[in-house]
Amino acid sequence: MDDPVVNQPSTEGRPGLLQSLRGLWHLLLGRHELVVFVLLVVIGAFLSLRTDTFLTWNNLSNISRAFSWIAIAAFGESMTIIIGGIDLSVGAVMALAGLITARCLAAELPVSLAIAAGLLTGGLVGWVNGLLVGRVGLPPFIVTLGTMSIARGITFGLTGGWPVRNLPHGFRLLGQHDLALGSVSLPLPFVFMLGLAVLVSLMMDWTVLGNYIYALANSERALLTSGVNVVRIKVLVYTLCGVLTAMGGLLMTARLGVAAPMAAIGYELDIIAAAVIGGTSLFGGEGSVLGVLLGAAVMQMLRNGLVLLGLSAYWQTAVLGTMILAFILLDHWRRQIKWNRY
Amino acid sequence: MEPLLRAINLSKSFGTLSAVQGVSLEVYPGEVVGLAGVSGSGKSALSMVLAGFYAPNEGDIYFEGRRLRCPFRARALGIEVIHQKPDLAEHLDISRNVFLGSEIGWPAPGGWLKIPNRRRMDQEAARILSQLDVPFSSLREKVANLSGEQRQMIAIARAMIRPAKLIIIDDPTLLLGYAYQQKLLALIQTWQQQGTAVIFSSNNLDHLLAVTDRIIILRQGRRVAEHHTDEADREEIVAAMVGTTDRQRLTPIIWALDSYYRAREQAEKLRQSQTLLERDLAAQDALNRQLIDQLAEQINALDSANVALQDAQRRLLTELEQERKHLAREIHDQVIQDLLSVNYQLEEIGAEESVTPALRDELAGIRDSIRVLVDDLRHICGNLRPPTIDSLGLGAALQSYIHDWAKRTGISVTLDLDANLGRLPEAIELSIFRIVQEGLSNVRKHAQATAVQLSLKHTSPRTLMLSIADNGRGLAKDFDLSALSAEGHYGLLGISERVALLGGRLKLQNQADGGLLIQAEIQHPRVAETGGGE
Repeated sequence: MDDPVVNQPSTEGRPGLLQSLRGLWHLLLGRHELVVFVLLVVIGAFLSLRTDTFLTWNNLSNISRAFSWIAIAAFGESMTIIIGGIDLSVGAVMALAGLITARCLAAELPVSLAIAAGLLTGGLVGWVNGLLVGRVGLPPFIVTLGTMSIARGITFGLTGGWPVRNLPHGFRLLGQHDLALGSVSLPLPFVFMLGLAVLVSLMMDWTVLGNYIYALANSERALLTSGVNVVRIKVLVYTLCGVLTAMGGLLMTARLGVAAPMAAIGYELDIIAAAVIGGTSLFGGEGSVLGVLLGAAVMQMLRNGLVLLGLSAYWQTAVLGTMILAFILLDHWRRQIKWNRY
Repeated sequence: MEPLLRAINLSKSFGTLSAVQGVSLEVYPGEVVGLAGVSGSGKSALSMVLAGFYAPNEGDIYFEGRRLRCPFRARALGIEVIHQKPDLAEHLDISRNVFLGSEIGWPAPGGWLKIPNRRRMDQEAARILSQLDVPFSSLREKVANLSGEQRQMIAIARAMIRPAKLIIIDDPTLLLGYAYQQKLLALIQTWQQQGTAVIFSSNNLDHLLAVTDRIIILRQGRRVAEHHTDEADREEIVAAMVGTTDRQRLTPIIWALDSYYRAREQAEKLRQSQTLLERDLAAQDALNRQLIDQLAEQINALDSANVALQDAQRRLLTELEQERKHLAREIHDQVIQDLLSVNYQLEEIGAEESVTPALRDELAGIRDSIRVLVDDLRHICGNLRPPTIDSLGLGAALQSYIHDWAKRTGISVTLDLDANLGRLPEAIELSIFRIVQEGLSNVRKHAQATAVQLSLKHTSPRTLMLSIADNGRGLAKDFDLSALSAEGHYGLLGISERVALLGGRLKLQNQADGGLLIQAEIQHPRVAETGGGE
């Protein structure tokens, strides 16, 4: 990656400290993951100093458990954003997938089959999204707004508004078990999340498909001319997003031990925020798995911190919205610097 | 023979604008079909419909008997497209763009999940680009940073990655310079020889006539005519393009078209030869600079040799003066003193009583001779080293020398000395004295003059002007210092050398009345203890 230091406004006559600071600043902006990481450390340090409860093993374990399913869904979300689209249905799909699995378990199907059914549900919603966006050519915002409503409606309809309880122990282990690695024990969702991060990372950075996904938003005609089936890529990306989101939903349901129809309401905001804070550009073509992972961690830590600091839950969305806007502005600004170079 | 591509009754409209109307055509393997038409006649739209980029509103396209629908499928069937403007992935680098859609990687049948082999892709891309004469600094350069021409050539390179059955070319020459246009035409001919069919849409009739087998002419989206290129008449084609058969109206259009393309081509050629010329000039310039450098070096060497030579001569003259001084002192202090003591002894002998008068007379004669000898020796000493110059200075030495000289030669001399001459460094005083000596001896030997005017004046506090003017016959017309030295006359040459060693300037010229005027301007350091000065 090239850093955008080349385009320095003229600083003749006042070199030295200012210029080197400017260079450092540009270097930081060029490595977005570094910015997010610094932010994460700063928030963590602040919370450790201000509260007694933040830096406890229990709290950290809870944070990492909770941000795991946000992060997994955000991996899928960032892929749709990278190809120039968006998926608003993620929150609803998390709830729906969790519910379908819970219903299957309630019908005493084996855990593996129930999980497969949940994942299939997510994949199905994603596939519909992909078909409508890719093949029919509808705007992704409208399409996914629609499927969000449908998925949430189905959730309410199937349950009649009542949560499904008494999930089998074998399933709940997925969300509640800790994997002991020597002296450290990691929450299972966190381990799943890391594994998926590696897989998605490999796909995005190493394979031809990842290459096409990054090129799609800005160079669709080039891909067409080169004989790449662009529609299939779009369908694939939305379907993958649906499956990943369903995985997040299942982990969430397993952790909570109930499949509530009201679960994951408003999660689309968290998930999109995680992707955007992590450096995924809403203009398409840019973003990384590591960034999204860090972005999700920042989101969850912020949520947790606001609770620990005793801020009213009503204010939380305002803070999150401000964060999203700030990072979109940063992205916009960086883009302008880049444009000036051409 | 079965046609490679068959289009039946194609129509395509954008909103209310119908770009293509009911066009049918067939293309056979190894055939180059040209699409001609004025701008807006639907050439591009038809090309894009044939490539599958626009779905036709009506009609069907069959490729090798199969219906063609999606553009990405077209490439898998063996159709390559070169657009008017290159469609490249701006954020990807050169080699990724060349291989976009046909990446080499592992595992080979891995489809989208294969991992690209960058090294092999780079090698292959470099080979094709060098075949196309496309310069690039790095294959990892993003194409967004390249020029329109380079990008178009990369798009052409991409079309050459896979063996194609049909190549659709939609007038890409707008972005290409003359050299690359010719390259593209040559490529089309190569493809034709390899059996690849080409649909070549172009605004340039000359290009179409050069490479196509037949030309289909479009006007307002309709196919209006078709000509075999070998039998084609330029005027017929243009008539079909603009849709008139009226010769009077047609001729100016043909002229205009012709001269337009000719002018464009000429401009391109001019641009190219200008680049070549500039390159030549740059090379010439570099050569000249090298020569000038060498010359400067040689001049420097000569200069230092010259300085060394002058040094040597200055040392020689100084030593000569020292030698003369030494010699004069020897003669004066030894020989003359000895002679005087011999004379004294002779006088004593003469005063003895036993000496006969005859012998006494003889002794007196010898003593006279000795006195003359002593006088002569004194004179020689004077010439070797002016006796007064060390003690009394240049002025006094000159005065006494001139007085002697005038008496000896009978030529009258007037001397005009600067009142504030003072004392100068020994080397300068001696040199001026020698110059006067040489000058006067020159007058005596060659000038046949009766009077000499000599002056030594300050023209500025640190510059002395010595001038020697006679009323003799002056210099010959073809006078040349170096010729004089060749003939063994060193007088004037000696003067010029001495002046040069002092860093002064010498001027030799004939006066109005015929005599020679020697002027020497000599700079000297300011001397502190100036006797006559303030």
